[in-house]
Amino acid sequence: MAVSLHAFIDAAARAGLDYRFLLDAYERVPFLHGVVVSIELVIATIAGSALAGLLLLIALRHRHAWIAAPARAFVELTRNTPTLVQLYCAFLVLNMLITQWLRESHIDNPFKPFFWVVLVWSLHKGAFHAEALRAGFDALPVQTLEGAASLGFDRRTRFWRIELPLTLRTALPALVNNFVELVKATALASAIAVGDVTYQSIIIWTQRDNVLALMIVILLFFGLLTWLVSLAGRWLERRLWIPGYGA
Amino acid sequence: MAPRSAASPFSDIESRRDGRARRITRARGPAPGTAAALGVLIVGGLLWTFAPDSGSRGETLARFVEWTPALVHGFALNVLISVGAVAIGSILGLAIGALGLAPSLPGRIARFWVQAFRNAPWLVLVYFTTYVFPFEFTVFGKTLPFPDWLKVTLALALPASANIAEVFRGAVASIPTTQWEAAGSLAFSRAQILRHIVLPQCVRRMLPPWMNVYAIITMGTALSSLVGIHDLIDTAQVASSTVARSSFTVLTYLATLVIFFAYCYPISLFTHWLEKRIANP
Repeated sequence: MAVSLHAFIDAAARAGLDYRFLLDAYERVPFLHGVVVSIELVIATIAGSALAGLLLLIALRHRHAWIAAPARAFVELTRNTPTLVQLYCAFLVLNMLITQWLRESHIDNPFKPFFWVVLVWSLHKGAFHAEALRAGFDALPVQTLEGAASLGFDRRTRFWRIELPLTLRTALPALVNNFVELVKATALASAIAVGDVTYQSIIIWTQRDNVLALMIVILLFFGLLTWLVSLAGRWLERRLWIPGYGA
Repeated sequence: MAPRSAASPFSDIESRRDGRARRITRARGPAPGTAAALGVLIVGGLLWTFAPDSGSRGETLARFVEWTPALVHGFALNVLISVGAVAIGSILGLAIGALGLAPSLPGRIARFWVQAFRNAPWLVLVYFTTYVFPFEFTVFGKTLPFPDWLKVTLALALPASANIAEVFRGAVASIPTTQWEAAGSLAFSRAQILRHIVLPQCVRRMLPPWMNVYAIITMGTALSSLVGIHDLIDTAQVASSTVARSSFTVLTYLATLVIFFAYCYPISLFTHWLEKRIANP
């Protein structure tokens, strides 16, 4: 293992890429930890955004305007502002205020940067999920819904048993696309010093000036993650396929 | 039809059947954009009031007024970068989109370009151009500076070109194949069909998604603050750490949010309006 690592570093050095940080435990260990943090971040935000998307969808379709209208406003706000600004508004404003308020009663702020990134990204992508699902709902054949209603399903049962399962299937390509965007966006977590792979790379390349070498690693890493997500999406699409629809 | 109450268990289906009822329910209440702006102002006002602070709120406002020109100047840089990136991206994207239609090797390279730059994280591209490109270069013995904002413009032009190439492909794909065949039978060459028959029809269809790309790129210019360009967000950070008052920080970041929203939301509204107009002229 060690021999092949040295051989790899030598070969990369001949191509002009500096991977010597892998030999230094003080840099290798944080870097590998950054990889783990990035993966945790992706998993947490995928789950969080799915939940946020579902909640937003229910709110958007709510029959009371005082629930639907704020949800609509939130969707428009989050779709039309940069995620970085949203992240700063949450972390540098809300988190700062929480820290200051808690300091008055001598309590440490329990919310860490990781939490804020997951929260902001989940809400942001949740809005996109909700929009994709809403489009799927509008595409449902009205006869199916009438059939369900005539069988005596009430609104709630119809939503969970008939509308949502069918909508999930039609909206799946759009949802998977959102998840791929989400994976790419987690690179931004480095902006508030979450120790993800991008952040650790920035620390290494400011020391060693090997931007290109690390950039290739990051691109490959995110390429792999997005590939895995789209693979999972295709698998789900095949699993949930309704016979008689599509190619 | 019998008058229906909102509590009817079938109200949603009935409103689907009756398009007019649906539109009426939609139109009730303030427009979502206004509601969003109101929400930000209310939440911001609450936070501003309750932010623990030593000085008076009036002084905070005075400091904010002092910093306003700097913030506006920062946002002008965001707009400059977005316009530059979309201009370069459009030219590149149209060329790549046209190449991508060809089944030959250049076509394959063009399709690879689209795949690569649609899937790369923008932040990585921004870091890449900022740190890998030289800070100046020499042409015919003259040394020209290569400023960072231009590098970020190029970095954002890459994904813009990939997205615009896709917009182009989508527009060309929406033209029925029979038109190509009919023009071909009139002895037009492929390039001639594209130029004289397909493209004129594509322009209208491309406008809404193209504006969408513009709005997304504008939001992407937020990344430039991470590589030390003095854009709106960087200015907000400098301002909040210089003034160092909680209420000022609340004000500055919410102003940043509102400025971006005020710029991007009208674009998105206009895009929707255009889409509707093109769908049913």
